[in-house]
Formats: sequence, structure tokens, C-alpha cells
Amino acid sequence: MALLNSTFISWSQKLAIAWLSFVVLIAILATTLPLPYLPGFPDLAHVAAPPFGASNHWLGTDPQGRDVLSVLIFGARTTVLLTLPAAVLSAILGALLGGAAGFWGNSIRLAVPYWLVAVAGGWWVLRLPMSLLAFVIAIVGVCSVVAAWLRKQIWPAWPVPIDAVVMGVATTLDTIPRLVLVVAMAAVSDVSLPSLLALLTLTTWPHSARLVRAQMLRVRALPFVEAARAAGIPAAQVWFVHALPHALQPLRTALPLSIAGLLGLESTLSFLGIGLPPDVASWGRLLATVRDDPSAWWVFVFPVSCLIITIVSLNSISRRRLAFSNHPPR
Amino acid sequence: MVKWIGFRMLRTAIAVWAIASVVFLLSRQDTARAEQLALPDATDLSGYAVGTPVARQAAREAVRQRLGLNLPLFYISRAAGKWYWNGLQNQYHHWLRRAVQGDFGQSFRTSQPVTEALLAALPYSLPLTGTALLLAAGAALAMGQRLAARPRWQQPVRTILAALQALPLFVVALILLLAFANPEMLAWFPAYGLTQSVDVELSVWSRTSTYLMHMALPVIALALTALPELALQLDAALTEELRTDYATTARAKGLAEGVVIRRHALRNALLPTLTQLAELLPALVGGAVVVEVVFALPGMGRLLTEAAAARDYPVLVGGVLLAGTARLLALLLADLLYFWADPRIRWPS
Repeated sequence: MALLNSTFISWSQKLAIAWLSFVVLIAILATTLPLPYLPGFPDLAHVAAPPFGASNHWLGTDPQGRDVLSVLIFGARTTVLLTLPAAVLSAILGALLGGAAGFWGNSIRLAVPYWLVAVAGGWWVLRLPMSLLAFVIAIVGVCSVVAAWLRKQIWPAWPVPIDAVVMGVATTLDTIPRLVLVVAMAAVSDVSLPSLLALLTLTTWPHSARLVRAQMLRVRALPFVEAARAAGIPAAQVWFVHALPHALQPLRTALPLSIAGLLGLESTLSFLGIGLPPDVASWGRLLATVRDDPSAWWVFVFPVSCLIITIVSLNSISRRRLAFSNHPPR
Repeated sequence: MVKWIGFRMLRTAIAVWAIASVVFLLSRQDTARAEQLALPDATDLSGYAVGTPVARQAAREAVRQRLGLNLPLFYISRAAGKWYWNGLQNQYHHWLRRAVQGDFGQSFRTSQPVTEALLAALPYSLPLTGTALLLAAGAALAMGQRLAARPRWQQPVRTILAALQALPLFVVALILLLAFANPEMLAWFPAYGLTQSVDVELSVWSRTSTYLMHMALPVIALALTALPELALQLDAALTEELRTDYATTARAKGLAEGVVIRRHALRNALLPTLTQLAELLPALVGGAVVVEVVFALPGMGRLLTEAAAARDYPVLVGGVLLAGTARLLALLLADLLYFWADPRIRWPS
């Protein structure tokens, strides 16, 4: 836990960490909490009941009779289940792709036998016609790999433009605003929790890939990477073991901000009624119901405060990372 | 310079084409839902022999024929473990050929041409995003300059801006809606109903005022979310520039702080802000989606969300293409602004 005790943490950041742990804890325990009402079962006898009233709804009910407190708790569960994995997955994907793009650039070359094996593999995966030909190509590829290994033979090598491909895909994904892209894709695919997770991950990774790539361009020129190369360590090991951990530095700041951005995106989607199916509780969907009954302030105030406090906490945590990423960890 | 702009525009255009193609191809993978929604209701077909399986099959075939779904999807297709070459008679080729000619097909839902639907939405979306952009840029310019001069209200305003930046757009829009267009609070602005009130026979003046009243809150909401990023960025860049030697020299000449900022530091500090401006226009197109849904404006955003809900794929793809066009325009605008702001780009060594 070097992250938590290495430097001074201001009280607001302690509060932020406390709130975020509370939200995650609530999300984990949501199904076991002794709630008087479940979010999926509207109480039609008390529609839009004010909070702290005679009915047993502590925070009132929304215009469709759902208990605000339980929607808040299960909404936190949805949020945590969606944004946390999406942020982590997109950070990992972006780190690997951006790290590879920054480390090797367009210069990596792959010997022809490996190209043959890759072509044969692709042929087999796509199940193109004439599978016998693919088999022959694969045999030739494997034989030449073995030959090269046994007789120290040098095959011609063709370049693999990793940098161009990764950055091209990232630029393509960045062309369309994320919200429009997600709205379009959500309409195309049937939306469920896993598919929305995949969608968010796919549209979020370019940012972390850019950050890691930029840092990697700096790191790969540092003396210790050169020393590792000079020691004869294979390039893949230099990349993964020596260079990549240092190139991940910008993600410590970017990860909380990315979670905050995903939180905003997810609640916007459910607010628009596009994200998750209507029976999944979420803060955005609860907020959308206030338009049916503008006098029901409690439907608006409670989820909005949850949302704002969470986003502000995430921002303040990212500032802490920024503050001590300047000096090296002890 | 021209070559550089051309290269960037070409790259973005290719990216837009790629995204639109992917959305097109993915959307047509599963057309059963779209067919269902496009099928006429049984009650509408009272004159026909409805209900028999044959008639239903015929109706479905007619819908497929009308929407062009009876053709194969792409140049090649795969069925029962084999690959087939479909030739040029496929949906993608037809769509691409018509899109190049400026025809994006017809809406599945209303049979209205997509171009027409998009053009009908633009009179709401374009003023909305344009005004918000101008307002945010102007306010950021004014505010950044004043903030960098270190007045006494610098810290609180920075905090407010940072807090505003953290809020999602729909929360800002909802707060504005509930505060200023709510009979329970302050009913200064109308909350919805722009479409109904416009077509009533009224004088030009009252129609314009209705339009303005409806647009005020959405524009403010959009501008408020765009403002903090720009203002904070400009403020940071100006603060950085004011520490440089040329700023000290300007002060030593006896210039007032305001003049140092305006005449010397501002143009240098503007460059990163211009980059952000290019990012902002597409972001505003996305933001317009939210604002138009909250304030019930019949613009692009509402068109897109309704198309998404109803699986109206041609409209959806048209919207994606339009968003890409906004991106192209933003890039061009940013490049031209760079050209104006930075002489190093104008006269390359």
C-alpha cells in the first residue's frame, strides 16, 4: 500500500477516498442489505411520495412509485460494475497498444516464416476456401522457422507498422464524438451489461493509449532501457518488464479521470434512455423521471448529489496522483 | 501548409468513411427488429386479407423490398461454411454510391429522405452549437485574460470553474431546466413546445422572440459546459507566458499589466486553446444530443436518439456522417486559426 502512506494526504482527499470506498462497499453489499423495497417493484400506492414521510420510503419514491433509496443503492452497483471494469480494461488495452506503438514504432520487422504462419492462422480462423493450401502454407512456415532455428539462417523480414495501425485506429475512433458513437453502436447491438462494457472499453482506450505512447517515446531512450538491451535481454522482455512499468506513470492521473468520464457517460446514456434496459436501476434513469413531475425535488437532489460527490472525489484523487508523480516513489 | 491541411482533411475524411461503414455494416447484421418496426400494423391493413401467414409473409417481403434489405449485405458473404462473391448488387455498394452523390437513403420509420430529415433538424442544432461555441469562446477569452491578471477573485473563480467542469452536461441542463423553466420555481423560460408554437400564425417579431426564449436555456447550458475547459486552459497558458522574459521586458518598458497580456502574451498563449477549440466543436455536437433531449428541441440530437431507439439505421448513419463533417470543419477552422495566430506556421523556414 505504498500508494496510501507515502505522502501527505489532505483531509479532502481522505474524504474522497472514504466516499469512494463507501460507494464500492454499498455496491458490493447491495443485494444483502435489508432494504424495505427493491428497485424493480414499484409501490403504486405511494407514487411520488416525499421523503421522511409517513410511508416507509426513507428518501421518497419517484413518479413511477420506485423507492429512491433502493434505486440509489442498486444504481451505485450498476455504476461500479460498469465504470470500474471499463476504465481498468481500457487502461490495460490502451497501455499495451500504446506501449507497443511507442516502443517499437513502425520499425519492428517480422521474418517471412512467421508471416507465413500468421497468414495460415488467419486463413484457418476465417475458414476461407481451399483449406489444403492454408495447411501447406502453415507447414512451409513451420518448416522454415525450424530451419532458421537449426541452421542460424537469416530470412528476409517485412516491417509491421504497429505505430501506424494503433494510432490510425485511435484517430478513427476519435473522429466521431464518443456520445454519438456510443448512441449509434448501442442501437446497433442489443444492449446488456457486458455489451455496454465492451462498447465503453472500445471507445475509451485511445486516450490512455496516447498517454502511454507519449511517455514510452521518452522512456525508450533512457539509459536503463539501453542497458537492458545491451545486456542481451529479448526485446519483448525489455518492453514488458523494464520499459512498460515506467510508461504507465501518466495513467495514475488519468485512471480516476477516466472513471469520472465514464461515470458521466454512463449516467448520460441511461438518462437518454439508450443505455441499459429499463429494469436496471441507475442514477441517470432516476434523474430522467424528474421531468415527469418537476415538483418532486427529492428525485433530483439525491442522485445528483451522489453523482457530483463521486465525480468530485475522483477528480481530487487524480490531483493527488499528480502531486506526487513528480518525485519518484520510495 | 495547404498540403498539410489537405493531408489532415483527407485522413479525417477516410476515418469518417470507415466509421460510417462500420456502423452501416454492423447495423444491417440484424435487421429483424427494423423490419418488425417498419411493418404496418395489422389494424392499418383493414382492406387486405391480414392474418393469414401468406399475407404476413407477403407484407414482410414487401417491406424488405422497400427498405432494400433483400439484397446481400456486402461484396462477399458467408453461408453454410462457404464464401460467396455477390458482385456489385449489394446493400453496401448501393449505399456508398448514393452517399457519394449526396443521397443517404430513406428513413426506415417515416420513409422520409434522410437528407431532408437532417436538414429539417439543422435550423435548431446549428444555431444552438454555433452560439454556444461563440459564447463560450468569447467568455473564456475575456475571463482568461482577467484571471491571469491575478485579481482578488482569482482563486474562487478557478474553483467554481473546476467544479463546473466536473458536472456532466445533462446535470447542468437539468438544473437550469428545474430552476428557470419550472412553475414551482421560476417560470421565466418555456420548457418545451417549440414545434407547436412556431407554426401558429403570428407576427415575425413574436415568432422570433418565442424562438429566442426557447433557445436561451439550451445555449446557456452548452456554453456553461464548454466554458471551464477553455477558460482554465487559457488562464494556465497566460500565467505561464507572463513568467517569460519577454513579458518582464514589456513590464520594464512601463507597460500596464493588461497591455502586456493583450499585446504580448495573449497570442502566444492562444495556441493550445485553439487546439481545444478544434476538439470542442465535435464535443458540442455530442452535447447537443443531451441538451436537445432535455429541452425537447427537434434538432439533430433528438433525431439521433429517436433513430437509435427505433432502429432507424439510415438516419443513424446519416447522423454519424454529419458528426464527422462537423469534425472536418472543426479541423479546418483550427488550422486556419493556427495560420492566423502563429507566424512560424505561415512562413516555414
